[in-house]
Amino acid sequence: MYADHSFREILLGITGKDFTLMAASKAAMRGATILKASDDKTRQLNKHTLMLYSGEAGDTVQFAEYIQANAQLYSMRNDSDLSPSALAHFVRGELAISLRSRKPYNVNLLLGGVDPITHKPSLYWLDYLASLASLPYAAHGYAQYYCLSILDKHHHPDITLGQGIKLLTMCIDELKRRLPVDFKGMTVKAVTKDGIVDIEFDDDKVVKSA
Amino acid sequence: MPGFDFSNYNRNAALHARGVPLPKATSTGTTIVGCIFDGGVVIAADTRATSGPIVADKNCEKLHYISPNIWCAGAGTAADTEFTTALISSQLELHSLSTGRKPRVVTCMTLLKQHLFRYQGHIGAYLVVAGVDPTGTHLFTVHAHGSTDKLPYVTMGSGSLAAMSVFETQWKPKMTQDEAVELCSQAIQSGIFNDLGSGSNVDVAVITGEKTVLKRGYVRPNERSQKLKSYIFPKGTTAVLNEKIIRKEDLGNYVSVHELSTTEEGGDKMEVDT
Amino acid sequence: MSSPFSINGGAAVAMVGKDCVAIACDLRLGLQALTVSNNFPKIFQYGDVFLGLTGLATDVSTVSDLFRYKVNMYRLREERDIAPRTFANLVSSSLYEKRFGPYFVSPVVAGLDPKTGVPFICGFDSIGCIDFAKDFIVSGTATEQLFGMCESLWEPDMSPDELFETISQSLLNAVDRDALSGWGAHVYIIEKDKVTKRLLKGRQD
Repeated sequence: MYADHSFREILLGITGKDFTLMAASKAAMRGATILKASDDKTRQLNKHTLMLYSGEAGDTVQFAEYIQANAQLYSMRNDSDLSPSALAHFVRGELAISLRSRKPYNVNLLLGGVDPITHKPSLYWLDYLASLASLPYAAHGYAQYYCLSILDKHHHPDITLGQGIKLLTMCIDELKRRLPVDFKGMTVKAVTKDGIVDIEFDDDKVVKSA
Repeated sequence: MPGFDFSNYNRNAALHARGVPLPKATSTGTTIVGCIFDGGVVIAADTRATSGPIVADKNCEKLHYISPNIWCAGAGTAADTEFTTALISSQLELHSLSTGRKPRVVTCMTLLKQHLFRYQGHIGAYLVVAGVDPTGTHLFTVHAHGSTDKLPYVTMGSGSLAAMSVFETQWKPKMTQDEAVELCSQAIQSGIFNDLGSGSNVDVAVITGEKTVLKRGYVRPNERSQKLKSYIFPKGTTAVLNEKIIRKEDLGNYVSVHELSTTEEGGDKMEVDT
Repeated sequence: MSSPFSINGGAAVAMVGKDCVAIACDLRLGLQALTVSNNFPKIFQYGDVFLGLTGLATDVSTVSDLFRYKVNMYRLREERDIAPRTFANLVSSSLYEKRFGPYFVSPVVAGLDPKTGVPFICGFDSIGCIDFAKDFIVSGTATEQLFGMCESLWEPDMSPDELFETISQSLLNAVDRDALSGWGAHVYIIEKDKVTKRLLKGRQD
């Protein structure tokens, strides 16, 4: 279908009791080459909403920053943030409009957040066709095939952040074990009611192949 | 009539370029016929609508109203026959209102062919137009590309060959109304039984100078027999995980009601016409 | 790539009973063979009218949002809820407007006439041709299976309880023979002054 390099980019999201854990691979790839090993595929939309993106080079950052700018503009104008749900539907709308243009954005997204009022964590999965789904855990690209089954088995809605990181580590270990290319480790962030925190993640851990 | 919205076109064309097939619309792979008799005209149709090999509707209406004295039988893409006839019906109504004259069949036929020609066959409507107007009795066929024919008896749709064979063997000039209705009915039944795209019942419309009579289900040769056994499941068969009942009377619980005073201090009373 | 109607998968069905109607859908959202979500409902409520949408997931969302907007505008202008038959014609003309660039959806409408209480159901193709039926309407990737189930299980004048069992068993057994549909189901039983929404236990494979 579309270039399979975007399928090699890893986006992961896991919700828990009071947080949404988000992770994205660090490699920037073009064809067979890794251009960069510290690529940031995340954008913060407001205090408690984070967006991960993958897809066609150029489209991704352009679209993500367009969304980020609009989310920030809303926060400035109204002195209050849009909820993760509102943002997800806004992003879907923009992507659906783009889909009907001459040159649509080819971007897949994960949108994670914690509702500023109810403090409920949420995670939204969006693909380049602007299909939107609210999920307890989600992934994009080849990572879906490896990680969703692990998460199906081990995920519970009321896990703690520590358990969430353990789960995430299981997923990433499996990806290291099975993916044919080195994705250069993961950027990991957690969204909580107090904002977005960077999670230290050991990228140098060696995982033996089966 | 400026009408179609092409906002999805680019997306769908891009999808199509990636090998996505076009959606299949409901089509009336149909038998429709028309026949002039002494004093009027009769049109008839089967009632099967298909989507690929699936029978989508076993009893659809293919006889469309244009005006009280003009009716249309439609074959081809079902949505196109439905909307094209509705559009022309509307234009003809406005036209007859502004001219103060009864609509004419030729006018209807011309509007249809000009509309269809403009869309170069992309609007897949194949129509039999029939009616009686002050200039006489008329029967036309209109093809999706905009060509028309004027004939004493006509057939269209996938069952047109089966139906035409009936006309070619049994038609004679100056038939009575009953003879024409019977001939059209036989022609449709020939389509129903010999053409896979056609089926179920025969609908007939008889148009004379005085009135139009629509005979829905004129012949029903394919009635489903009564089932001998009931398959109703006992209550509780299906496992239910969650149930929520919303009662209309409870809807009031979700809104607060404020009684407004109607005394002087409550401000001006609203003036109500009595 | 396969047809846009079968990328995401899904099934919906509506049925008529005695003084009641039912509408049901599965809950799967997939990408070809990969299941992404098992909680993606395809039935939307607009006042007393229910709309089921199967097909391409992005268009299911877009079209459901579009009709929410249109029905709300209707309610503001007319100061009353839209009737099922009126809504059906709104769906039809909205889809036909996009005759040459359609939404990849197969809608199903169900409701009771607000004045007479007479059951109303209908279905559409993606360009707005209405299929009025007095028994049942099916749509989605399990269409063929649903036709078979409904054609054999449906009978006239079922009570709300009977209708629930019939539509549930029709849907459940149809989607079990369709790889792209299933993973749970929603069933709505609509009566004159009561709507019952049930979540069904379905296979998770």
